[in-house]
Amino acid sequence: MNDQLLLTPDQRDALQEVTNIAMGQAGAQLAQILEVFVQLSVPRINITESSSIATSILQLVGTPQSVTAVRQAFSGTLRGEAMVVYDQNGCRDLADLMGYEDDIDRDSERELLLDVGNVLVGACLNGIAELLGAKLSFSAPTIMAEDVEVGRLINPQQLTWNYALLVEVHFTLEVRDFTCHLMTLMPEESIVALKSALDAFMENL
Amino acid sequence: MTESPADFIVSEINAGIFMLDRQYRVLLWNRFMAQHSDLDAETVIGRNLFELFPDLPQKWLVKKIDSVFVLKNFAFTSWEQRPYLFRFRHNRPITGGIDYMRQNFTFMPMRNAQGEVEAVVVTLLDATDSAIYQTMMQAAMRKLEESSNRDGLTGVFNRRYIDTRIFDEIQRIGRYQAAPFSVVLLDLDHFKRINDTYGHLAGDEVLREVARRVLPGLREPDVFGRYGGEEFILILPQTDLEGARSAAERIRFAIGAEAIVCGEQHIQVTASLGVASFLPPFSSAAEVTQAADEALYQSKHNGRNRVSVYPAQQSQTG
Repeated sequence: MNDQLLLTPDQRDALQEVTNIAMGQAGAQLAQILEVFVQLSVPRINITESSSIATSILQLVGTPQSVTAVRQAFSGTLRGEAMVVYDQNGCRDLADLMGYEDDIDRDSERELLLDVGNVLVGACLNGIAELLGAKLSFSAPTIMAEDVEVGRLINPQQLTWNYALLVEVHFTLEVRDFTCHLMTLMPEESIVALKSALDAFMENL
Repeated sequence: MTESPADFIVSEINAGIFMLDRQYRVLLWNRFMAQHSDLDAETVIGRNLFELFPDLPQKWLVKKIDSVFVLKNFAFTSWEQRPYLFRFRHNRPITGGIDYMRQNFTFMPMRNAQGEVEAVVVTLLDATDSAIYQTMMQAAMRKLEESSNRDGLTGVFNRRYIDTRIFDEIQRIGRYQAAPFSVVLLDLDHFKRINDTYGHLAGDEVLREVARRVLPGLREPDVFGRYGGEEFILILPQTDLEGARSAAERIRFAIGAEAIVCGEQHIQVTASLGVASFLPPFSSAAEVTQAADEALYQSKHNGRNRVSVYPAQQSQTG
């Protein structure tokens, strides 16, 4: 791997610190929106090679299972895509918390996946961006896969990058049967931008 | 006083732009919104959006707008899941074939100097044309899929399709705790003898006629297909073992009731059937079809032209 892409130990610590703080804020903001307490795991940070992305995702999700996923692109100082990976129950359990009043049909179920995904991605990435003084904008989320084996979410043959930074956070709701993973992927050129943003962050400490 | 280019663009662009404060009061309403809503900016500015448009899904939209204020985040809606928020006319009134303008929305946080979100800017893009193209494309795709799901000889579903439907049924049970489905496997008795005695063309006609005799007796959700050779399969959603057994009996009767006329020949055909329900401990399509196959073997073993169920019970004789 190109050394330029490696995070120095300091940069790595800073990134861990930034993501930890951001997730704390995200949890509080999500609680404000959903009116329930959301538990976020400590973010796991990895640099992954495109050829092993499927294995990395499988390891982060933990068990081979059928999943549904939403993807959303972000751009600005940092560029990349965030994926929200839901288990088989999707997020129907969150329907009332997101303002759905009636029984939900297939289309509302999809909209709910997108709504929840958008909120989780926004809460986490805006927090990170704000701490790093980065500007982000988001495009509309889309459904990436429905009921697909987790190892097949991404087809490595279609990827145009070699290395990417992968940040994973795991969400659970105490009072509901809900769990999902947020995976943020940033390709090479964004890693370089992130490294300088982290350096600037450390200088300002 | 001349307008700034930015004001001109916001006003004249062929897309809806409006702005709301924390109390959902309208702060800005561009020409597109005015034209399509028949409410001009002077009328709506300062008024609550939900009072102006009582049809809006308030609870859901409030959540969405609040999330933009709280998370300082973008939010979106797409016509594909929610066709429209405002009942606006569209620009294909004659050729469109859909009721209201299809709409994509983006909700953007507008921050003040302190970084706090003071207002939400909402843009509305008219997606009616995409919606119409997509509807046309889906219709074409359905036709294409339909033709590749069918068995070329009999016109009933083919094995590939049946396999995906069993998989779907299993998923549905997992997801919605739907009632279990049952599977009926059907094998024509002594089919090789029919082929040998009357020829393959007659054999083909027998297969087609069997399909024709089975189909009228099925319910709308039932899925009937050819599983290979002289074997057919029937999936009965939300049907228990007993219900599936009586359906299988009716099919057995329908097939054997009269000889099949094939040119000058009258060919008497009977079938053996095996029935199984998808119940614990089954977890895969293979297990339930295997069970139906075992029951089918029992029918063959006990003298053919009969229905057996899995797990083995007393067999029904025809």
